[in-house]
Amino acid sequence: MEIIGVDTGGTFTDFIYKTVDGKWGVYKTLSTPHNPAEAVLKGIKHVVKGKEFRVIHGSTVATNAILERKGAYTAFITNKGFEDIIEIGRQNRSELYNLFYRRNKPLVPKELRFGLTCRVDSKGNVLVDLDEDEIEELVKKLEEAEAESIAVCFIFSYLNPEHELKVEGSFKRLGLPVSLSHRILSEFREYERASTTIINAYVAPKMKRYINNLIEGIGGNELRIMQSNGGSISAEVAMNESVRTILSGPAGGAVGAFEIGKMAGFNRLITFDMGGTSTDVSLIDNKLPLTFESQIAGFPVKVPMIDIHTVGAGGGSIAYLDAGGSLKVGPESAGADPGPICYGKGEKITVTDANLFLGRLVPEFFLGGNMKLARDRLDRYFKEMAKEAKLSELELAEGILTVANANMERAIRVISVDRGYDPREFALFSFGGAGGMHAAFLARLLKIPKVFVPKNPGILSAIGMLLADIVKDYSLTVMLKADETNYDEIKVLFEPLDESGIKDLMAEGIERDKIVLERYLDMRYVGQSYEIVVPFKENYIEQFHKLHERNYGYADESKRVEIVNIRVRAIGSPEKPVFEKIPNAKSSSIEDAIIGEKQVIFDSVEKKTKIVDRDRLLFGSVVEGPAIVVEYSSTIVLPPKCVGRIDEFGNLIIDVEVD
Amino acid sequence: MKVNPILLEVFKNKFSSVSEEMGVSLNRTAFSPNIKERRDFSCAIFDENGDIVAQAAHIPVHLGSMPMSVKEAIRGFKLKEGDMVILNDPFKGGTHLPDITIVAGVFVEGSEKPVFYVANRAHHADVGGMSSGSMPLSNSIFQEGIIIPPLKLVEGGKINEPLLKLLLNNVRTPYEREGDFKAQIMANITGIKRMKEIIEKYSLDTVRFYAKELMNYSERIMRKTIGDIEDGVYTFEDYLDDDGVSRQNIKIHLDLTIKGNEAVLDFSKSDDQVDGSVNAVYAITLSAVLYVFRSLVGEDIPTNMGCLRPIKVKTRKGSIVDAKFPAAVAGGNVETSQRVVDVILGALSFAVPERIPAASQGTMNNVAIGGIDPRSGEPFAYYETLGGGMGANPYGHGESAIHSHMTNTLNTPIEALEYSYPFMVRGYSIRYGSGGIGKFCGGDGLIREIELLGDAEVTVLSERRRLSPYGLKGGENGRQGRNVIISGSDEKFMPSKFTARLKRGDILRIETPGGGGYFKPKN
Repeated sequence: MEIIGVDTGGTFTDFIYKTVDGKWGVYKTLSTPHNPAEAVLKGIKHVVKGKEFRVIHGSTVATNAILERKGAYTAFITNKGFEDIIEIGRQNRSELYNLFYRRNKPLVPKELRFGLTCRVDSKGNVLVDLDEDEIEELVKKLEEAEAESIAVCFIFSYLNPEHELKVEGSFKRLGLPVSLSHRILSEFREYERASTTIINAYVAPKMKRYINNLIEGIGGNELRIMQSNGGSISAEVAMNESVRTILSGPAGGAVGAFEIGKMAGFNRLITFDMGGTSTDVSLIDNKLPLTFESQIAGFPVKVPMIDIHTVGAGGGSIAYLDAGGSLKVGPESAGADPGPICYGKGEKITVTDANLFLGRLVPEFFLGGNMKLARDRLDRYFKEMAKEAKLSELELAEGILTVANANMERAIRVISVDRGYDPREFALFSFGGAGGMHAAFLARLLKIPKVFVPKNPGILSAIGMLLADIVKDYSLTVMLKADETNYDEIKVLFEPLDESGIKDLMAEGIERDKIVLERYLDMRYVGQSYEIVVPFKENYIEQFHKLHERNYGYADESKRVEIVNIRVRAIGSPEKPVFEKIPNAKSSSIEDAIIGEKQVIFDSVEKKTKIVDRDRLLFGSVVEGPAIVVEYSSTIVLPPKCVGRIDEFGNLIIDVEVD
Repeated sequence: MKVNPILLEVFKNKFSSVSEEMGVSLNRTAFSPNIKERRDFSCAIFDENGDIVAQAAHIPVHLGSMPMSVKEAIRGFKLKEGDMVILNDPFKGGTHLPDITIVAGVFVEGSEKPVFYVANRAHHADVGGMSSGSMPLSNSIFQEGIIIPPLKLVEGGKINEPLLKLLLNNVRTPYEREGDFKAQIMANITGIKRMKEIIEKYSLDTVRFYAKELMNYSERIMRKTIGDIEDGVYTFEDYLDDDGVSRQNIKIHLDLTIKGNEAVLDFSKSDDQVDGSVNAVYAITLSAVLYVFRSLVGEDIPTNMGCLRPIKVKTRKGSIVDAKFPAAVAGGNVETSQRVVDVILGALSFAVPERIPAASQGTMNNVAIGGIDPRSGEPFAYYETLGGGMGANPYGHGESAIHSHMTNTLNTPIEALEYSYPFMVRGYSIRYGSGGIGKFCGGDGLIREIELLGDAEVTVLSERRRLSPYGLKGGENGRQGRNVIISGSDEKFMPSKFTARLKRGDILRIETPGGGGYFKPKN
């Protein structure tokens, strides 16, 4: 059977596939934002040879529905008196010094928010029961309002879901999709749970249409959808739990890095994906990093997601001198239009322009030579700005990269140092279009000894989708004092979650004995309000203190500990494609791969630098800096003193001289 | 050394990242929901003179007052490596007693004196005094809690146990306090470590040079901002409802003079300090000034000493905006600070109308509830502030049910509240129609209704219950807030500031003010 990984991006839809005879192929086609399925189906048609195939797909449909506010006309049902919690949110503003601040309007307008008289207390006891007549009336109102989707979130529903289940029953005859909060996210904190449930209700109908469209297009073949937790899920489940699919593209990148790193013997990675307008970073310490505190368009989404940190710094970031005389780079980007100066239209200096100015881009080979770079346009702009900054043009160009690198260094510090990790123990895994030009410099700043650039770095997300496990996450707030319970008691609490995991994964076609259940506890000291995720083993209390010490610098074994949530991650590993190894080089010499030579500036000095064609490098080839390695979708700069080696899978591993 | 625009930007990035990392550490390790869920704290770096270099954007009311704390802390002590000074004395650099600051020096090899300082301030849910939550309706500071002069809490890397014991013995929830102190100490350790790394990489001279240059940088931008305002003298007055004891209509008066690229704010015609707890110490007034002018700057500049250089703040000692010992000050920080902002914005509305909104709710609606939790038999202390309406502006409506100006703390989730305290929340909603009507309407306030599941003492410290937030250019005023106690069928309207013993089953309902409208409404 053929398998195809498809990642829909802003500009291109990427495909990676393995045919029946074991051959690998890569394909890119322009995305079709008005109807993303068009590009996906067109590409599949192009790459597929046989009749039977499986598609694993990361889509931006759910994300875009929220960002563009084009989701379903959604109603929100909660306890009477709490209809506005989704508008009040946490009552704070995200910009402190904006006197005219406005928050994003909630996805459900006031006229579609309804309260029912019912209440459960903090122990799960029903204090006030639902009123049948009131429900009847509500059903009529929902009909009249022409709601398209319904989200339900009652206070403490995760302790006692009976009211949510009851209204679901009553809503059946409306024939509308209903999202219940205890099912989407069985955890405490009502605003976050409601927000996650509403997002699900808001995007699900659109996702359903999209997926049905694809299913029809691939005529009965298997379709799996990538989730933001780094695992894939069947198309049917993705239609009902669409909130789990937002941000699946970046998740694909992290999975790709994780799996390819593992194959090559690198289990601790800092991923670095630098694109045109922003840079995504994440930290992989033997496993995929998860977060439970994501946001989209200002709305909290508390389902587990791959923990990816984004900064507004990319190849298109614009450099300027601010009113106080400081050199700033980004977050404003020249985007695709007008783009950097060297693309022919732009008028503002970008990071890409600075790289070209210093000779680190090779115009003849940029995007396989298909895109002309106007080097001659740069001088005028650099001259002007250098004069204003009282710097030489060279200093300015290097300065722009210094500032851009500092912004990205800060992003990496947030995910490493801030969380108790030492970046020196990791390899910097670079992908995305612009990453290769900065990775070695960034590694030096952070004292990271090795940079890892995979083969095909431009389509890593699609690769990740091919390699992803099938994953389902479950959680439940239990709120127990650790000294009032024990391992065996907690084990019992896990049972219903385990059962759901096994049932759901078997429905995905995974055999019982191939299902792995990972169990975790969210723990904290009594009185704290953020939790640490601790693997559930007999020594969970000891582990909690250890992790607290690692993350926050101290632990106190005399303090009471509580268990807030229990979590199960059910994992099924489908058969994963194996990458082919590349031929051995006869010697480490790379004479045959050198396709040119040029002058490049490093540390203010011009150096004779070789240009190397990556496709001609073989297992064992050694590239000594200064060098520029070019390939179709990216350019990799090896500054002096760096040494790159090609491994058996074609990955380029650079030793960065760290002082 | 010559200023390099590249390094200027790099250091801007570095310093603010250090103060943010301190904040991450504090937020994650603190114990009380007040600090963690609500993020009522600030972190900053100071130079060897105690001038602020960078402060993470946390809580504006701490802006101008942090440097005064640090200056007091270093005045009395020869700090050595591994020492940390704690203080909360409002007359020695503090603001009000619950805000406790911990200061530490950054040393490099061979330095006898600190080369930099790091400090953080957190609002503690209880520091003793006459009512739980330590936000009492007091008439002298002695009723408000334990007064901590600058003292070494950590000496040579070791906690001063007798001092800690003394502090913990004077508060209602010692376990929580101890956890929070440790989190504050850790935050400073994080800051010290990061500063040392930066100094090691760039040399002390360079780091110092750029710390000073960043102050010059902020000063340049601030001067430009002020320079764009038309020269003149702009006068505005507004009032506090009362002091909770007897005085009403407490006046805050401002003569704002803009001349070239400098501003002088003269508050000396404001009323005398009062018996109740709404007195503001000078540091608070300074914070309010800094907040407003920082908001006028369009760019993202470091909030440091340079911002204040072109600004002079004149007050009269012993007045409501510059109280002297032993005035009661618990509410000055939270309530009077908001009114000072209203007055500054009011004056600026004559100078740069296109950039100034109508008055926002002008209060933080402080609610403190304390007692014994019948479920556990343990004492509890709950403190929270409530959002309200923001003022409308020349371009649009004001936001509803949100914190404005001097605070930005989060609410406590209902489910977290009911787990932790003997409360049942009966309603949490937007108070529709409370925003001032106008072409652009003021934002609406909110309504929070809490039923007590056990007897408890309730203290409310609020404002704008009598006098409403002003509208501008013909926009109507926002509606005043209301404090209501419901016992059975009996609804009792309470004043802006009160303490009451409530019985199990009683309901406290707080309705917060709306923001002012902007422009006359179209018919």
